[in-house]
Amino acid sequence: MILQYFKILLRRIARERIFYLIIITNLAIGYCAFIILSQFISGELNWDKQNIKYDRIWRVQLFMDQKENSIMHSSSVTAALSRNDLVNLPEIEKIALIHDVGDNNKSGVFLSVDRHNQLLIRYGYYSDPAIFDIFTFNFIEGEQEQALAQPYSIALSKTVADKLFPSGKALGKQVYGENKVVFTVTGVYEDLPPRSSWRPVFLLPMSLFTPLTGWKGYETNYWAYSFWTYVLLKPNADPASVDRKIHDALHDYRKEHYPYLRPLSALHVNPYYENDLYLSIVIFSFISLLILLLSSINFINLQTANASTRFREIGVKKTLGFNRRRLWSQFMTESLALSVVAAVIGIIAAQAALPALNRMIGAETLADIKGNWTLIAVILGATMITGFLSGIHPAYVISSFSPVAALKQRFILDESNGINLKKILVTLQFSISVFMLVAGFIVYRQTKYMLSRDMGFDTQKLLFTNIITNKKGTVDPLRTKLLEYPEIADVCISDYIPFILPGGDDLSWDKSDPTNKVFVRFSNIGYDFVPTFGMQIAKGRNFSKDFPADGNKCLINETAARIFGWKDPIGNQIKVFNKDYEVIGVIRDYVAFSVHNPLEPHLYRLIQDSVLNDKVFTVKYNKGKEREAMKIVKTEFQQFFPEDAFDFQNIQVLIQNENAVRAWKSFRQICGFIAILTIIISSIGLFGLMLFFTRRKMKEIGMRKVLGFSFGSLYLTLSSGFIKLLFASILIAWPAAFYFYRMLPGANKYGLELWEFLIATLIILLVALATITYQIVKAVRIRPVEILKDE
Amino acid sequence: MIRTVNLYKIFRSELVETTALQNVNFEVRKGEFVAIMGPSGCGKSTLLNILGLLDNYDSGEYYFDDIDTSSFNEKQSANLRKGNIGFIFQSFNLIDELNVYENVELPLIALKVPLSKRKDQVENILSHMHISHRRNHFPRQLSGGQQQRVAIARALITSPKLILADEPTGNLDSTNGEQVMQMLEQMNAEGTTIVMVTHSVNHAERAHRVINLFDGQLVMERSDRIFEPSGLL
Repeated sequence: MILQYFKILLRRIARERIFYLIIITNLAIGYCAFIILSQFISGELNWDKQNIKYDRIWRVQLFMDQKENSIMHSSSVTAALSRNDLVNLPEIEKIALIHDVGDNNKSGVFLSVDRHNQLLIRYGYYSDPAIFDIFTFNFIEGEQEQALAQPYSIALSKTVADKLFPSGKALGKQVYGENKVVFTVTGVYEDLPPRSSWRPVFLLPMSLFTPLTGWKGYETNYWAYSFWTYVLLKPNADPASVDRKIHDALHDYRKEHYPYLRPLSALHVNPYYENDLYLSIVIFSFISLLILLLSSINFINLQTANASTRFREIGVKKTLGFNRRRLWSQFMTESLALSVVAAVIGIIAAQAALPALNRMIGAETLADIKGNWTLIAVILGATMITGFLSGIHPAYVISSFSPVAALKQRFILDESNGINLKKILVTLQFSISVFMLVAGFIVYRQTKYMLSRDMGFDTQKLLFTNIITNKKGTVDPLRTKLLEYPEIADVCISDYIPFILPGGDDLSWDKSDPTNKVFVRFSNIGYDFVPTFGMQIAKGRNFSKDFPADGNKCLINETAARIFGWKDPIGNQIKVFNKDYEVIGVIRDYVAFSVHNPLEPHLYRLIQDSVLNDKVFTVKYNKGKEREAMKIVKTEFQQFFPEDAFDFQNIQVLIQNENAVRAWKSFRQICGFIAILTIIISSIGLFGLMLFFTRRKMKEIGMRKVLGFSFGSLYLTLSSGFIKLLFASILIAWPAAFYFYRMLPGANKYGLELWEFLIATLIILLVALATITYQIVKAVRIRPVEILKDE
Repeated sequence: MIRTVNLYKIFRSELVETTALQNVNFEVRKGEFVAIMGPSGCGKSTLLNILGLLDNYDSGEYYFDDIDTSSFNEKQSANLRKGNIGFIFQSFNLIDELNVYENVELPLIALKVPLSKRKDQVENILSHMHISHRRNHFPRQLSGGQQQRVAIARALITSPKLILADEPTGNLDSTNGEQVMQMLEQMNAEGTTIVMVTHSVNHAERAHRVINLFDGQLVMERSDRIFEPSGLL
């Protein structure tokens, strides 16, 4: 029986090649897109899985209940919390305190073997040895138990070890840090996989923290949120109970700050409950289902249309006594078989497309399908469900024909007037297509808007480096020297620059409610910071050497003035670390860190141009002189800081690497890909539908031609039904797209415009008209005699 | 064998009601060969469809082998059809995707006859109809006469009690038409009851009895050949 089903199907495929090519391609593309999006989603959801104790690893975070401030969560907490409060909790098995070496946001740390060939290494960390009991590390050299046991030891990742010791073993060898400290390599571990939320490239023992940073008493400090804390819970321990116990741990210090635990599984995708990546994953899941739905609807439409050419087969079988169930099972088998074939093609196509897509997205975002049997099983399961659901309608329609009607080849499908399932499906198909295109436009424009938006400072023509030095004195001689070059426009010093996030504190200010403190970020800047970055002073003045007392003054940004409720901020006082600073100027708001979160209040104090310790140097070059400027700064800085390592970068590197920018860029790529697929799938669906529609209307076309109807009136008659449905679909697609726009994350959105909706609709209309026209022209060109004879 | 009592069939559309059959009373005895004649649209095919349980009727009774079919649902109709009634159509109605062998085999599949038995039966009937050499051909590769022979083979393969033929020679030239008529006569001679709709007076005359329909009513019955029941009833 089944054998006969397949026999008939294969012979139909051989006869109606184009039609079955359309049916299978449509579904295959649907599956391929679904698989790729699922891979993207599951890839994002499966970070950190290499850790054996994955389910028991948690990070201690902070929730800051600040009504007017956007930054509500902190991934880092105080060291005292780990050292004093967490140690007493019976639920916790291990605690590891971590701090970055140097400042990862700025540039990292220079390591060398010979004090000359410096390597700038970012993402090294001080860590408690307990880190090896929490995270899974694979040591290639040395033993992990000993790796952080001794002071002045360093554990290297394989990449860093290979860079430092290209020819041979690293264990036991010496490494210089910033030409100031000597470490002994106590271990080399395999690089943590790219899908790790924490990827230290080298580790130093936490016991070195005070000696190397000079920060004493950090373990009893409840104020500085500079430390990450990971804990390993005991098996079956209740994290909620830990949350309850630590909830008020900071109460004596900062009333509205509450520590809590967040599982490792959430750290990549959704660390703070409100995250771009998380939302985009939700959106992508939704879109991947929509694509599958779109191709399934096509499939249903095409299979139902297909049924209309099989009246004789159905009629004969019914006459011969085949019951409904057997016909039903025949058509279900066909649907399932086509669906499985399409899925297999879809899997192969997705596998083939992965490398190119990964290059496009710019990371190993998409995992390999090969060997991922769970995924393949899931896809085949989904295939069966899709095949089944898509087959139900056609199978039902087909098996319910009366044998007489079937043998007379009456077109039962079109006989019901008004709203029928077919019209609903076609409308739905149009709606999804239009919606996806508008959504594609929205994402594209939003990304473009964020990337090209006015940052409020000069984002071009800036080079920067971070230098840690023991050198004393001001930056003035260096600045004067550099400004002698015509290529150099300006030079400044600061401890932070835009897109390198400084810390801050909860502040109170003149006339503020003492219980209502607000988190304000601090930067220390030199006299030339504002002009070098091309920032604007909105009110008051910049720091100036003409005012010797400026060391007790500060600048704020417009957001701070607004949050403080100051109409005229100049002359007001702000208390920072028990010292009062008088506001002398307001800097016009600029994007300090995130392109799409709201701006935060900012405060700037003066560095009186001392280069000592850890500073960022920014050099503005004249247009078109980047390469020359790079050479000049290298030479001049080498002379000025002969002992210290540095590495100049363009500030664009920082901007392009900002999390939201990166997320949105890959978001845009995927949406472009989805938009193209949508057009292809819609075209295929419409093409197939029109193929059958015109075939069925052949007699009408023939008769009308005999009666002398013009092409135009034929065209109008045949296409008007579809065009009406397309316009009906606008009622669904447009509001849905508008809702999608509203749902998008981010505080800074571009203004939605009507033309995006119109163009998306127009594209689908053109696709519809093109397929309609093709079929109608083909039909109309046949001589009427042939059509009528055929009938 | 079959009997209708006060049979009515009405076709309804939104605006019009057409009475296709009106108070039709007639009987066909086992082994009889009956021809139905009448102008186009008189209800011949409708009557044949009802006799074949392909269509339902609005009132009256229809007995097949003394079984009242008036309350039959689709499934019961299908069960009675298979094996008991063979159909021959003017346009042959062979399935394009199946070859000669598979088309003929189809009724046996409907009856769930095991494969080994099917094979013998199909081979027998194909050679009986002289189309064995075409067994692997598809309908579109055959002439009209050959297609109708395949259709007849398909109708006969289950050895049905009743053959319903709807203008079986309508699409054939006279030579092929004649062959088909001979086959029908032979089947009848072997004991199969036949009801045939035809436009051809010549072909109708070869039946035991001719029923004339006009506007859905039985207008005249005429016997050209004497039908003598075989006494097996």
